[in-house]
Amino acid sequence: MMELFEEIKEAVIDGDEDLATELAEKVLEEKLNPVDAVQEGFIKGIEEIGNSWKAGEAFLPDVMMAADAMKAGLAILEPAIAELGGSDEGSGKIVLGTVEGDIHDIGKNIVGALLTAAGFKVFDIGIDQKAEVFLAKAEEVGARIIAASALLTTTMKAQKELVQYLEEKNARDKFKIVIGGGPTSKAWAEEIKADGWAETADEAVELCKKLLA
Amino acid sequence: MLPKFDILTSEQVRLVHENTIQILEEIGVEFSFEPALEVFRSQGLKVEGHRVFFQRDFVEEMVKKAPAEFTLHARNPENNVVCGRDNIIYMPGYGAPFVHQADGTRRNATMADYDNFIKLAGASKNLHMTGGNVVEPSDVDDRIRHLKMMYSHIINSDKCFMGSASGAEKAKDSIELAAILFGGKDVIKEKPAIICLINSVTPLKYDDRMLEALMVYAEAGQPMVIAALVMAGSTGPATLAGSLAVQNAEVLAGITLTQCINPGTPVVYGSTSAITDMATGSLAIGNPECALFNSASAQLARFYGVPSRGGGGLTDAKTADTQAGYESMMTLLAASTTGNNFVLHSAGILQYYMAMSFEKLMVDDEIAGMVLRYIRGIDFAEEKFAFDIIREVGPGGHFLTQKHTRKNHKVELRRAELSDRQSYDGWAKERTDTNQRAHKRWQDVLASYVPPALDEQLKTALDEFIAKRSAEVL
Repeated sequence: MMELFEEIKEAVIDGDEDLATELAEKVLEEKLNPVDAVQEGFIKGIEEIGNSWKAGEAFLPDVMMAADAMKAGLAILEPAIAELGGSDEGSGKIVLGTVEGDIHDIGKNIVGALLTAAGFKVFDIGIDQKAEVFLAKAEEVGARIIAASALLTTTMKAQKELVQYLEEKNARDKFKIVIGGGPTSKAWAEEIKADGWAETADEAVELCKKLLA
Repeated sequence: MLPKFDILTSEQVRLVHENTIQILEEIGVEFSFEPALEVFRSQGLKVEGHRVFFQRDFVEEMVKKAPAEFTLHARNPENNVVCGRDNIIYMPGYGAPFVHQADGTRRNATMADYDNFIKLAGASKNLHMTGGNVVEPSDVDDRIRHLKMMYSHIINSDKCFMGSASGAEKAKDSIELAAILFGGKDVIKEKPAIICLINSVTPLKYDDRMLEALMVYAEAGQPMVIAALVMAGSTGPATLAGSLAVQNAEVLAGITLTQCINPGTPVVYGSTSAITDMATGSLAIGNPECALFNSASAQLARFYGVPSRGGGGLTDAKTADTQAGYESMMTLLAASTTGNNFVLHSAGILQYYMAMSFEKLMVDDEIAGMVLRYIRGIDFAEEKFAFDIIREVGPGGHFLTQKHTRKNHKVELRRAELSDRQSYDGWAKERTDTNQRAHKRWQDVLASYVPPALDEQLKTALDEFIAKRSAEVL
């Protein structure tokens, strides 16, 4: 059993999505404890990659591919975990998207991958999304954080409109709103009364951990 | 002028072109704007959803229609610029939302900063145009920002400047302002007076806002820079060859669209491609890979017979420090010696386009002056060989008191404007570093700058147009 979990850890470190999926299926076939598989396999793998990255030995592609491998494996094991009564309420749910009028997404995608790697459940709604869509998705999945990205000075105001929209719908208190993107800043986040701002992807991860602590 | 050098062999250029055509034919480019798709459909191209597939012959034929050179007209004809072939045009940075002060303190850019950057560009001997969005002024309502920005260019300088590409309405306003300044839309159609920057979204897309503006400028016969910024490793392959092909596909697709709408519209092949920092995911521009993209792009543009845009004083540093110096010199020198024609971001840029700095502008102005002197080359006219003077001075003599020296040194030997060439003791009186000298210099230049007068009637007409449009949109 420990050998299989070790293989899972390696698959995550290698960013091998196909192998991670295959091994997750094996966990189910051999009727092993899926929660242990997640803890001893997937999470140990992502932690090791994360440490390598902080030490400057691993890079963004390694981290993002590891996150994809973990995500694929977790998708296979989730139903089994749910049946055991284990919920994923523990892991914070985050709705992530680029605001209306803006189709830039590379930064958002990097943030999404790092959040996944950190154990959050990320619902990426994509680019050019209206405030209504952010809120609808957040309510649908029971998210705790809404994260909105903008790259242009001309689309930044959609972040302000998102905060105002939630207030109008009396939903502001249900979610933490965090923003990011090139022209944004801490001062801007304060001006629009968002709950937080981060300049880099790893700062975004720290911010979300802090907000949900 | 020094001859421009090629960094690619003709076989390599051919390979890039072939790979680009394969991308355009088999993968295509997405245009989310219906009127643009209509243009392509009417030309017989295959369109699936938003994706347009381009055929080789069609692209090659269309790109040939764009001119190899064009003149951009300024309100003072002495400041007209020729874009293309052997010519080079420097101008300040574009689009940064922040200003970094000398000590690195960051703040939002304001309209006062905007005016000051224009004045410094106006005063500069080395910046040929005052550029476009020299910074994004956060204290002006976004709906009328473009009007205020163009007005600042017109009032504070008589050099050429750029218009807005933020959607159809702002594009139309920009052309209208230029028309007022030059005497009508027919005048500027004959003698283009305004140019804008159209950016793709990499990989292989163009958004509505940019496409709307492209169509407006093309119809009005005003030039456009059609530019792509591929971030090798994230929005493009980690291999420079692949990223160059992606960039090339995006730019050719955009140029093709302009020529479909109005054949002969001047365009500039634009590249700001660079790399992704693999530890953080950020764009990084002050590096040799960026210089390679710029140089390759200049050569590709020559291959396609159009002017090129690229390069600049590019750095990832946050202040005008040593890193800013060496990175900016590398990128500006590479761009200039390999033939980029339209060098946006020549001066003032910090932190991968996120910020501008007044100190950095003065540092880059000095770099620009040095590079311009370098590419001017050596004058080998007979008089410059100075044979008679050499004979007169003879072995062991000196040239300091020769009339020939007095006459020629000002033309041949460039005076440094920011660099310190003093003796040690001279320097030790104040012990300044570059950043400190730059900090003093921009303030001195601003204090003594007198904006060129603008005809009262023109000013009134501009004021009235801006007031009318502001009332309409606010």
